[in-house]
Amino acid sequence: MTIQEDSSSRNSDVLAAFETEDQPASGGRLEAAIDHLRREWQLYLMLLPMVIWFIVFLYKPMYGLQIAFKDYSIFRGIAGSPWVGLEHFETLFANDQFLRAIKNTVTISALNLLFGFPAPIILALMFNEVLHASYKRTAQTIVYLPHFISSVIIAGIVITAFSPTAGIVNTIMGWFGLDPVYFLTQPEWFRPIFIGTGIWQEAGFGSIVFLAAIAGVNPSLYESAVVDGANRWQMMWKITIPSILPTILIMLIIRIGNIMEVSFELVILLYQPATYETADVVNTWIYRQGLQSGQYDLAAAAGLFNAVVAFILVMTANTLSRRFSRTSLW
Amino acid sequence: MSGVVLNKIVKKYGALQVVHGIDLKIDPKEFVVLVGPSGCGKSTTLRMIAGLESITAGTLAVDDRVMNKVAPKDRDVAMVFQNYALYPHLNVADNIAFGLKIRKVPKAEIRQSVQEVAEILGLTDYLARRPSDLSGGQRQRVAMGRAIVRHPKVFLFDEPLSNLDAKLRTQMRAEIKRLHKRLGVTSIYVTHDQVEAMTLADRIVVMNEGRIEQIGTPMELFNNPANRFVAGFIGSPPMNQLHGFLEADDAGPVAQIGRLKVRLPKSEVLENQNGKPVVLGIRPEHVTVDEVPGSFPIRINLDLVETLGSEALLHTDLDGMTFVARVETLGEISHLSGVDTLHVKPDLLKLFDAETGRSLSVDARTGT
Repeated sequence: MTIQEDSSSRNSDVLAAFETEDQPASGGRLEAAIDHLRREWQLYLMLLPMVIWFIVFLYKPMYGLQIAFKDYSIFRGIAGSPWVGLEHFETLFANDQFLRAIKNTVTISALNLLFGFPAPIILALMFNEVLHASYKRTAQTIVYLPHFISSVIIAGIVITAFSPTAGIVNTIMGWFGLDPVYFLTQPEWFRPIFIGTGIWQEAGFGSIVFLAAIAGVNPSLYESAVVDGANRWQMMWKITIPSILPTILIMLIIRIGNIMEVSFELVILLYQPATYETADVVNTWIYRQGLQSGQYDLAAAAGLFNAVVAFILVMTANTLSRRFSRTSLW
Repeated sequence: MSGVVLNKIVKKYGALQVVHGIDLKIDPKEFVVLVGPSGCGKSTTLRMIAGLESITAGTLAVDDRVMNKVAPKDRDVAMVFQNYALYPHLNVADNIAFGLKIRKVPKAEIRQSVQEVAEILGLTDYLARRPSDLSGGQRQRVAMGRAIVRHPKVFLFDEPLSNLDAKLRTQMRAEIKRLHKRLGVTSIYVTHDQVEAMTLADRIVVMNEGRIEQIGTPMELFNNPANRFVAGFIGSPPMNQLHGFLEADDAGPVAQIGRLKVRLPKSEVLENQNGKPVVLGIRPEHVTVDEVPGSFPIRINLDLVETLGSEALLHTDLDGMTFVARVETLGEISHLSGVDTLHVKPDLLKLFDAETGRSLSVDARTGT
C-alpha cells in the first residue's frame, strides 16, 4: 500500500462533499464547498497557521526567484531590474568554485546516504533486540540527546575533540606515539568528521521513526516465525527489515529530495578556507556570494538550480520506488 | 501415552493466575476444540502448547516427550493464527515455504511440497500473489498451508475463523473439517464460537476462568451438561434456566418453578431436600407448540417472535422468567402470534443445583 493510497482514503469523506454525482456544475460545487467549509470550519481554522506559514515562507519568496533571470539591484527593486535571461546560469557553470561546490555537495550527500542513512536503521534494529527495558530506555535517551544540542555547541565539541593540543582524539593518538594532527585544517579529514558528527547528532533521533515502524509490525508474525523455527537474526532479516521497508523507502525518498541540502549550519561552523576544497557546498557558496558579496541574482540562480535538481531527484526516487516496491510518497 | 497430554498445567502472570491446573489428554488424530468466553484461558493454554508462553507448573507432553522446556521449533507443532500472520512482503508460495526455508530444506523439495499443499487448498492459481491481493478466505487457506507444509505432529488453531464473515466462516469450517479427515493430524482448536466447536470437534473442552468445566463429545455436552455454565454456553439459543425449589409429596420429589410443578423421578440425591433451590434446564429445541405424546403444557405470555425461516424463536415470559423456545414454522408463522401454551418433553429436562450450579443428574419426568 502506498502513502498515496492511505491519504486518498483518509480524505475520501472530505472529497465526497465535492464529488457527489447529483451535484450540478460549478455553482453546485461552490455551494457544496461553502457548505462543507461551514460545517468543518474548526478543521480549517487549525489548518490556517500552516497555510500562512507556507504562503509567507515558501510561496511569497518564490516571487523573488525571478532575480535569477535579472540584473538585480536593491535600489531598482525586483520589478525594476532588467531581465538578463540565463546569463547568471552561464556565469555559474563557468565558475570553478561553484562547480567544486556542486561536486562537494553531491559527494558529501552520497557519503551521508551511504553511512548516515543506514545508521538510524541499524540503531533501531539494535534497540529492538534489547530485552532489558531500563537499559534500553537509558541507551535511547543517551543517543537521542545530541539532537537537542545546538549545532554551534556540537561544532564546538567537535572542534575541541579534534584540537591538536588538548583534543581527546590527538591525546589518544599520543598514547600510541602518533604525532598530533590538526584535523580540521586538512581537506581530506573534513568529510569523515562532518559525516561522523552528523551520525552522532542525528542517528539516535532518526531511529525513532524506524522504532515506531518496528513497533507497528504484527507480533504474530514473529510468533509464527518462532513456531516455524526462526532465530532472532533470521526474524530481523526476514520479518523486521522487510516489514519496515516501506518506511525506509519513504525516508530515503525524502533524503534524496534533500540531497542538495547538506547541513548548512554545521558546514559553516566546521569549515575554513583551508578546507574549502572538500567542504564548500552549494549552500555555503550561495551564502558567501549572496550575503557576503552582495551578488543576490547569482545566488538566486544557484538556489534555483539547487531546487530544480532536488525536485528532479525526488520525482525520480518516488517513481522508482513506486515501480519496484509499491511504496511512494504520492 | 502418545498424543498431547496436559497434566496439572498452571499459568501465572506475576500474582495473577490465569490457568488453574488443567488436565487434558488428546488422542492422536483427534480434533479437540477448546471453547469458552473471552479470558477463560483457552488461548493461553494453546500458546503454552505451542511454546509461545512458558508453563508455570505442570507438565506438557507430546507423544510421551515432556515439552515444558523444549523450544517451539523443536515441538513439531504448527500454528494457525487468528489474524493469519502472513508475511505481507512475501507471495503465497514464499509464505507457505517460509518454515521449510528456515529449516534449510532442499529447494526442490520445498517447491514440490508447496505445490502439493497449494493443490490441497486450491491455491495453485494464487501462488505468485501477495497476501494483500487475496480475500479473507484465501488468506486463511494460505495460513493453513503454511502449517500443513511442515507435516507437524500437532496443528494448533487460534480462533482462525474469527476475522471472516459468517458465510465464509461456514465454508472454511467445512474445509478445516475435510482437511482434518484427509490429513489425520492431531488438532487443537481454540474458539469462543460454540457453533464452530460443535461442528468441528471430536471432543469439546469447555473452559471458564482458567478451569475446565467439562470435556465430552458435542452431543454429550449438549445433552448432559455437567453444570449451568456448560448448559448456558453450549447451544444456541442457550438452555432456559428456570429458578425454583424442590418439594416432595407422596409420589416423590417435585420441582416447583413459579406456578409450574415438575414431577421428578425418585432419586437418592433428591431425598430429604425439601426447599432446596434448584434450576430447571429446558433446551429451546425441546419445546413444541403442539402437544406431543408424553409432553406437559406450560402457560406462557408471548413477548416476541423472531423468524429464522424454517424455525422461529419465541421469546416468552414464564412467571416473570424469560423463556425462549425454538419451534418449527413449516413456512408459516401466523399461527405463532396467538400461542399461550408450549409443550415440553419431560425426558429432556435437566436439573441443576442452584447454589453449586452442578447437574443433579436426574431426568425430570412430568409437569402439572
